[in-house]
Amino acid sequence: MYNIKVRGVLIEGNKGYHDITRDITSPILSKTAPTWWRISAFIASAMLIWGMWGFYNTIAVGLGTWGLNNSVSWGMAIINFVWWIGIAHAGTAFSIFLLVLHQRWRTSINRAAEAMTIFAVLAAGMFPMIHMGRIWNAFFVFPYPNTRGPIWDNFNSPLFWDVTAIGTYLTASFLFWYVGMVPDFASIRERTVSKIKKKIYGILSFGWLGSARGWLRFETAALLMGGLTAPLVISVHSIVAMDFAAGIVPGWHSTIFPPFFVVGAIFSGFAMVLTLMIIVRKVYKYEEYVTRRHLDAIARVLTFISLIMAVSYISEIFVAWYSDSPYELYVFFKNRATGDYAFEFWAMITCNTIIPQLFWFKKIRKNIALVFIISIFINIGMWFERYVIVVTSLSKTWLPSTWHSYTPTITEIAIFVGTMGFFIMGILLFLRYLPMMAMSELKGVLKETSIVKENTESHE
Amino acid sequence: MNNQGQILGVFDDPDVINTAVDELLRNNIEIKDVFSPFPLEHVWEKLNLKTRIPYATFLYGAFGTIGTFAFLYWTSVINYPLIFGGKPTDSLSFVVLMFVLAILSGVVFTFLTFIVREKLWPGKNAKMPDPRSMDDKFVIVIEKDKEMDEAAVRKIDELLRKNGAVEVNMSNA
Repeated sequence: MYNIKVRGVLIEGNKGYHDITRDITSPILSKTAPTWWRISAFIASAMLIWGMWGFYNTIAVGLGTWGLNNSVSWGMAIINFVWWIGIAHAGTAFSIFLLVLHQRWRTSINRAAEAMTIFAVLAAGMFPMIHMGRIWNAFFVFPYPNTRGPIWDNFNSPLFWDVTAIGTYLTASFLFWYVGMVPDFASIRERTVSKIKKKIYGILSFGWLGSARGWLRFETAALLMGGLTAPLVISVHSIVAMDFAAGIVPGWHSTIFPPFFVVGAIFSGFAMVLTLMIIVRKVYKYEEYVTRRHLDAIARVLTFISLIMAVSYISEIFVAWYSDSPYELYVFFKNRATGDYAFEFWAMITCNTIIPQLFWFKKIRKNIALVFIISIFINIGMWFERYVIVVTSLSKTWLPSTWHSYTPTITEIAIFVGTMGFFIMGILLFLRYLPMMAMSELKGVLKETSIVKENTESHE
Repeated sequence: MNNQGQILGVFDDPDVINTAVDELLRNNIEIKDVFSPFPLEHVWEKLNLKTRIPYATFLYGAFGTIGTFAFLYWTSVINYPLIFGGKPTDSLSFVVLMFVLAILSGVVFTFLTFIVREKLWPGKNAKMPDPRSMDDKFVIVIEKDKEMDEAAVRKIDELLRKNGAVEVNMSNA
């Protein structure tokens, strides 16, 4: 049996309930934003504006502004789409998997991870839309009664499943996120002295009272919504993987793709959470909430997932060799490992499977600067993974006469940078205006930890 | 019904409020509600509170599954049976969409049920018996009804204080 004492202290610094309310609401209630916030917001807006130029250029001129060609018909847009969707898995993986596994250390991090989910899904969603070229016809993807027959979508296509799965993922994550924030909005409503803030957070809090029956319904509803959303982590990225695996392209047509993509998504999501939380705990001085133990736990999870990634890469290569299919062999042994895309391939292998192994060493896990750098490497490595999958397979398929290389244009890069600006801006607004940690949940774990602390101290 | 006001027992510890609730129930005092900054599972059990939201969620999920299948069958088999790649029109791969949309239906309608049952809406005026229960206080609310005389009120007051209430307030709302 597991023992509660194993868990140890979740929130350091001997805090009381009031301290939690004060610490978490103070960034929201302060009249002015801190300087670093303004600078970051300025940079993020600049990135966003550049991205809007890329967007405009694509729509006004057409997809010819991208580096796509007849062979490589999926370029940066799909790479970035899959990358963002991967990052979007952080929130749900954190909130819900760890909820189901009774990992209560999630409480300090889940709200921010869920916010990442929302903004990353929104950033991801822009790519398929703009990839259609005629964005004003984007509504064609929905099955609506029409005058063309009425002819319906192909409901057996992974591309339509994608639309549904991502739409569902966004809706479900948003509702789960919002429900979790309702009690915290009520706390802000009762705490603020500003009339405008009282009004706004009053509206957002839906008139929440925190009565016993209310909390019972809240907990039940939140648990059910979370439990229902949990399988989406598996289904969303499995479906994205099927966009590839259902195509008969060497390097894509593989049964390992759905689980491989899901693991990769959780990997990049956790890495992004680590990146973000290290910054947040530093700038907001939340070291007592996001403790070293939290970072240590995430680093351990990443080490484990990194090993699964390594196994996936090796089994892909093994199956390519074992199949004895000349096309598969070519993709893995010539094009990827030693050919034109060797740099991207080895960057992927190094960043995703070799560098995270440094987390085996306690000294490295304890060094926050190094942990931060490694988390950035994982983010980059996961981007390269998508690059390798999309570009290498498409650039050299069956007929050498159709071979074509791919280089992204400035417009594509602008759109990518723009979505990053959008994501950063979203996170900044979240940090400034929404409760970035679940106060009610933090208060819920506070008491137990104080008891545990006494117990562990008496043992030591 | 009431109009006689309420007795508010204010506590600052979730464990103390547990024993206080026990003690009040043992003395047959009806607890109207308990306000807290975070969920207190033990109090629900003691007050015998139940919710039927899980059953509702099951129905929403079932509705999502069946509704999606009905829609897919109608569009792909009855309304416009278009053949894609020589595959049958009623395909086993409907399962994917049925699965995803069952979740969507479950989540959205559970959310709506929650706010409807709790009578929450944007901009609702929240009348808190004690606003501090959003921060660090736990409040037991006891209804003062007409039969309650001075002595009964004093008894409740004493009982609350004896069991760790940091203050006991009377409200006339």
